[in-house]
Amino acid sequence: MAQSATMTRSGIGIAALRGVRQQLGIILALVLLLIVSSLLNDRFLTVPNLLNVLRQVAIVGILAIGQTYVILTKGIDLSVGSILGLSVVLFAGLIEGQALAVAIPLGLAAGVVMGALNGLGVAFARIPAFIMTLGMLSFARGLAFIYTGGTPIPILNETYYYIGNGRIFGLPIPAIILLATLVVAALSLRVTPFGRCVYGIGSNEDAARLSGVPVRRYTLAVYVISGLCAAIAGLVYSSQLGVGTPIAGQAYELDSIAAVVVGGTSLFGGKGSVIGTFIGTLIIGVLANILNLTGVDPFVQQLFKGALIVVAVYIMSRSGQS
Amino acid sequence: MSSEDRKPTHLQARGVSKSFEGNTVLREVDLAVASGEIHAVVGENGAGKSTLMKILGGVYAPDSGNLAIANQPYRPRSPKDAIDHGLVVIHQEFSLTPHLSAEENIFLGHYPVTRYGTVDRRAMRERTLQLLERLSIRIDPGTPVTSLSVAQQQMVEIAKALSLDARALILDEPTAVLDEENVEVLFRVLRRLREEGLAIVYISHHLEEIFEIADKVTVLRDGAKTGSADVNEIDHDWLVARMIGRGFPDHRSQSRKHGEVALEVSGLTRKGKFEDISFFVRRGEIVALAGLVGAGRSEIAQAIFGLHRPDAGTMRVFGRVRRIRNPGAATRLGIAYTPEDRKSHGLFLNRPTSENITMSVLKRFYRFPIMRLRHERAFVERMVASLDVRLPGLGAEVRNLSGGNQQKVLLARSLAAEPKILLLDEPTRGVDIGAKQEIYDFIEQLVGQGMAIVLISSEMEEILRLADRIIVLRRGRIARTMDRTEASEDAMMKAAALSQATPA
Repeated sequence: MAQSATMTRSGIGIAALRGVRQQLGIILALVLLLIVSSLLNDRFLTVPNLLNVLRQVAIVGILAIGQTYVILTKGIDLSVGSILGLSVVLFAGLIEGQALAVAIPLGLAAGVVMGALNGLGVAFARIPAFIMTLGMLSFARGLAFIYTGGTPIPILNETYYYIGNGRIFGLPIPAIILLATLVVAALSLRVTPFGRCVYGIGSNEDAARLSGVPVRRYTLAVYVISGLCAAIAGLVYSSQLGVGTPIAGQAYELDSIAAVVVGGTSLFGGKGSVIGTFIGTLIIGVLANILNLTGVDPFVQQLFKGALIVVAVYIMSRSGQS
Repeated sequence: MSSEDRKPTHLQARGVSKSFEGNTVLREVDLAVASGEIHAVVGENGAGKSTLMKILGGVYAPDSGNLAIANQPYRPRSPKDAIDHGLVVIHQEFSLTPHLSAEENIFLGHYPVTRYGTVDRRAMRERTLQLLERLSIRIDPGTPVTSLSVAQQQMVEIAKALSLDARALILDEPTAVLDEENVEVLFRVLRRLREEGLAIVYISHHLEEIFEIADKVTVLRDGAKTGSADVNEIDHDWLVARMIGRGFPDHRSQSRKHGEVALEVSGLTRKGKFEDISFFVRRGEIVALAGLVGAGRSEIAQAIFGLHRPDAGTMRVFGRVRRIRNPGAATRLGIAYTPEDRKSHGLFLNRPTSENITMSVLKRFYRFPIMRLRHERAFVERMVASLDVRLPGLGAEVRNLSGGNQQKVLLARSLAAEPKILLLDEPTRGVDIGAKQEIYDFIEQLVGQGMAIVLISSEMEEILRLADRIIVLRRGRIARTMDRTEASEDAMMKAAALSQATPA
């Protein structure tokens, strides 16, 4: 018994190392990308450009954080782009008549409600997540079009515009929102019972149920979180552009999924992290940025992005087997 | 029917051995099945029946030994290869495609074709009707398989085998899914196929069926053949003696002190699974639920644990009537359950050991806003030490542990909630002898501390070694209850496998 005790003590060290090592692969990939990028273009490695990258990835980054929760439970949320679109037009419309302190919570609440509908469908009616959120993709987009009548709503509120374009201590506010969301999400997944259960549900739903995990309630919760993240992203989007357009966020669900899988989260559930997702978001964002800086044709850029997703996931699945 | 001896041997296995990861599951097994013979293969769970069938059916290659069909060497490389040799295995889980019709299933992979290369539906219909006629079975060939009863699906499987020109047929527990009426229909069909000269291997652990349908029987125990005979020359006792062996397992020496009644169920019923189950278990006592696979043992434990709601019956926990709606509620009442299939229902295989152990007690380490990871780690270390789980580190994914250590992790999670009543479902399945002994010792320790334990096990020796009282289930009902003093493998096997249990 003494022997096993010493083994466990050194085991904690090994566990910590392994945790870093799992993240290490994508961190290295990001560092490599940064080095290559800075060699390709001198404007790349400047503070203004890097802050710009952070500002640009904020929207997809926030979506991807919510998406991570869902994918960790072995689900998928295809509706985040549409929920973003719905919240964008609601923010734009509500700001005209209401105080910001009213309009913003209402817009966020719309994301929560749409997410809750997804969650009820998946967790309680047992509709496959793919189907439920595919339906919501169309439904929420439809609501956005109905609300606007199809024409964009201009946003004339200076304070609101500042949220998307201002800076605090030199940091773009969208980047601050992204980082704040990231910190809250990382903590909730690592050091709360809820977060542990999210991993448990994704790893083995039956075992989670047998362990007394309220599987349905927590499954509902991850879709609510994803909906809320989509609305937060919608806040950033509408305040950045200063206009509420019903087509906002089209196909963003795919970008968010790409960021999650490049970040090392398994589509089979129970494995991954929001830190990984953040790094995945950065890798995709930095790649887009350097391709822009070096003047690569936008059409060709699509090829790079596509190849990156497939190659990244291929490499991770290979290393995961060892 | 000893005149069967004169019939030519069709399917033969000689000296077949097989081991998996160092575990020998078949040891020098012989089997000879003649054309026009129904040959039963019997044995306890884990005796090696399935492995032998999988070797014959081309799923596994034997480590040593020879196979022959019609006196020609036979080395199947795949199930398809076996079929090409005229040998078809009908598994308990049917291999039908649910949305295709009966006839499409029968001819899937070898559709009759017209000269234009399209499926010749008329020929298919005609040949299907011929096959069904041959079996004297009425099924509309155009019905999708999903709309057929289980018994009819089984007939489609058999018709499919005939359409492949099978000369040897292996049926794995074919009556497990059938009610008595359909068992008769199946037997009629099997007798007809015997007349047609097929060699039929019939796997079962319902002993009475063997005397009704089989000509010969081969008994396996722990991977070795313990006997083979004409059915009309033997009786139940002959079979049972060869199935369970002669060695009498050592009972533990000290007797236990039983306390108050911890759990009592009465009239517990879940339709189609178990009926009118009543028993109690006291503190410091182990009550075993014995019986064959499918007798309803796990379902009873799961109903007690709140996983499935029973249709009728009451449950008392420490004297108070309780209605347990979900596993969380059961845990709060001090009941823990370790499921039988640790990989599919028990463990979070791609998560670390520590998370596996604390999943049911996370709240204990939570003080808003964050979990006290140091407390959790200290707790996990204590659990790991007390169960002597051996692992490379607490962060090691559970999938990388050995079976015995996985089982200990599962046990650790059940005990983390400090239960007073423990439902153990096959606690030592698939673990090596050393770990098994350690788990037994640990269970003894728990009972000594006053835990009330319900033990479900398919291993008779395990039950005899651990249990104070034994409840034998047969097809969802209590067949017999016995005290450890009157219990024996012989008595348990008879109660579990025969319809009229005779007192030992």
